[in-house]
Amino acid sequence: MAGILSYDFVLHAVEAAFLASITCGFIGAYIVARRMVFISGGITHASFGGIGLGYFLGINPIFGAAIFSILSAFGIRLVSKQTDIREDSAIGILWSFGMAVGIIFIYLTPGYAPNLMSYLFGSILTVTATDLTLMGILAIVTTAVFLLFYRTILFISFDEEYARSHNAPVETFNYLMLTLVALVIVINIRVAGIILVISYLTIPQSTANLFVNDLKKIIILSMIISFAGSITGLFLSYYWNIPSGATIIFVFVLIFMIARAIVYLRNLKQRKISISDR
Amino acid sequence: MNELIILDNVTAGYDNGIVLRDVSITVSDQDFIGVIGPNGGGKTTLIKLILGLIKPVSGTIQRFDNQEGSFIGYLPQQSQIDRKFPITVQDIVLSGLMSAGKGLSRYSSKDKKQAFDLLDQMGISHLAKRTAGELSGGQLQRVFICRALISSPKLLILDEPNTFVDNRFEHEMYELLQQFNKKMAIMIISHDVGTISYFVKTIACVNTYLHYHLSNIITEEQLAGYNCPLQIITHGDVPHTVLQKHDHSHDHDHDHIHLTDHKHE
Repeated sequence: MAGILSYDFVLHAVEAAFLASITCGFIGAYIVARRMVFISGGITHASFGGIGLGYFLGINPIFGAAIFSILSAFGIRLVSKQTDIREDSAIGILWSFGMAVGIIFIYLTPGYAPNLMSYLFGSILTVTATDLTLMGILAIVTTAVFLLFYRTILFISFDEEYARSHNAPVETFNYLMLTLVALVIVINIRVAGIILVISYLTIPQSTANLFVNDLKKIIILSMIISFAGSITGLFLSYYWNIPSGATIIFVFVLIFMIARAIVYLRNLKQRKISISDR
Repeated sequence: MNELIILDNVTAGYDNGIVLRDVSITVSDQDFIGVIGPNGGGKTTLIKLILGLIKPVSGTIQRFDNQEGSFIGYLPQQSQIDRKFPITVQDIVLSGLMSAGKGLSRYSSKDKKQAFDLLDQMGISHLAKRTAGELSGGQLQRVFICRALISSPKLLILDEPNTFVDNRFEHEMYELLQQFNKKMAIMIISHDVGTISYFVKTIACVNTYLHYHLSNIITEEQLAGYNCPLQIITHGDVPHTVLQKHDHSHDHDHDHIHLTDHKHE
């Protein structure tokens, strides 16, 4: 066990898993609580257009993805608010449009697109020092926003209209949080890939929600589950030589199912006790 | 009597049309106003105007708001709320203290004690650490009343508070409201005209136009004249309503229910 930690890329992967657990713990709990999973899926896939643009222009695809994901997040919100297009339809349109743009740009880019698969499926074992720096900065920013504005975020999320009637800066916060959602998604594409990143934002949070019901506790517990699941998945993928991203998600779902079974058995036991009490 | 809010000739609506026309009403600090009217008649729009959630198309709204914290306490319809949202009862009540610029400060132990005392007054302080989803509709309603009250508002607005409340608490609630009325003005939207007319001081009938009755008794002629299709109210020892469908030749938009006097044998 200690042997494999001496490799730099394994250490990097552990650091990446830690930082991903922090950012996704906050943002995942937020989107699960606000029922924003589908819009997050849309933002994730729309960002592929930016990755394609990045290849085409020869810049870091992550920067292209960041621009595309923020624009699509704002776009979905503006379109569903200002026009008669419904939000889920707007998500469907931008979701597929982003993917299409990405495919066209990659096709137009001369030569071979390196690491394309790692953007689709994630590659926690190849994260670079630059990736880790970006992840670290985002982890600090996200933590700061939640520490400073936790209650405002909680109250606006719970009852937007009530917050508005108290003159709370609802729109400012909604756009701030959408920006954070978009950035956290893009940064974690390096870890889990476009296809799998939504798992980091939903599975640990849903697992935590089985045991705790307070947003604060969901955030903390989902971070622990997320990190434990990532490390377990990482080592399993290393020993069995299977793709790391997929293994991590497999472990996440396994943890979720075990947790659900525990909750089920506990409820069963309580019911039996209460029946025998009568 | 101090004036709290004055609406002067206010017309308001949404993209698909005007909902309220030429509405004028003054809310003063001792008022207890029952807001009645048919669905789609503009009751909720009137509340949104007063809360500042929407702007009028024409006319003016003056608020005499010179207090710290929140001027208006508001109890929304429960259908707006996501009951599975992970938030504790204590936090819901404390959210009533939220205001612009208070995002940074933490809640003091004094705030928390106040939240606890209010929950205690409603008989649900043992639920403070529970989450919204674990509560019954009636319990959650009490939590929202606590949230509306924690900022010690000058005006309390309740949007159909009796929807989820069991009969026993409904009666308690109206008694409580009469106590609160000594300290604040109250506006209550309700379908249950029979019950609220028993408690309120004045009635505002909203059906695109607003008709303000300076008593809690409406007569048949008034309702018919104002085009206000409503349940019939009879005032006796027991407030109750009598319904009678009635065809009006001058208005085919609504099922008119006609007001008749009904005496107990």
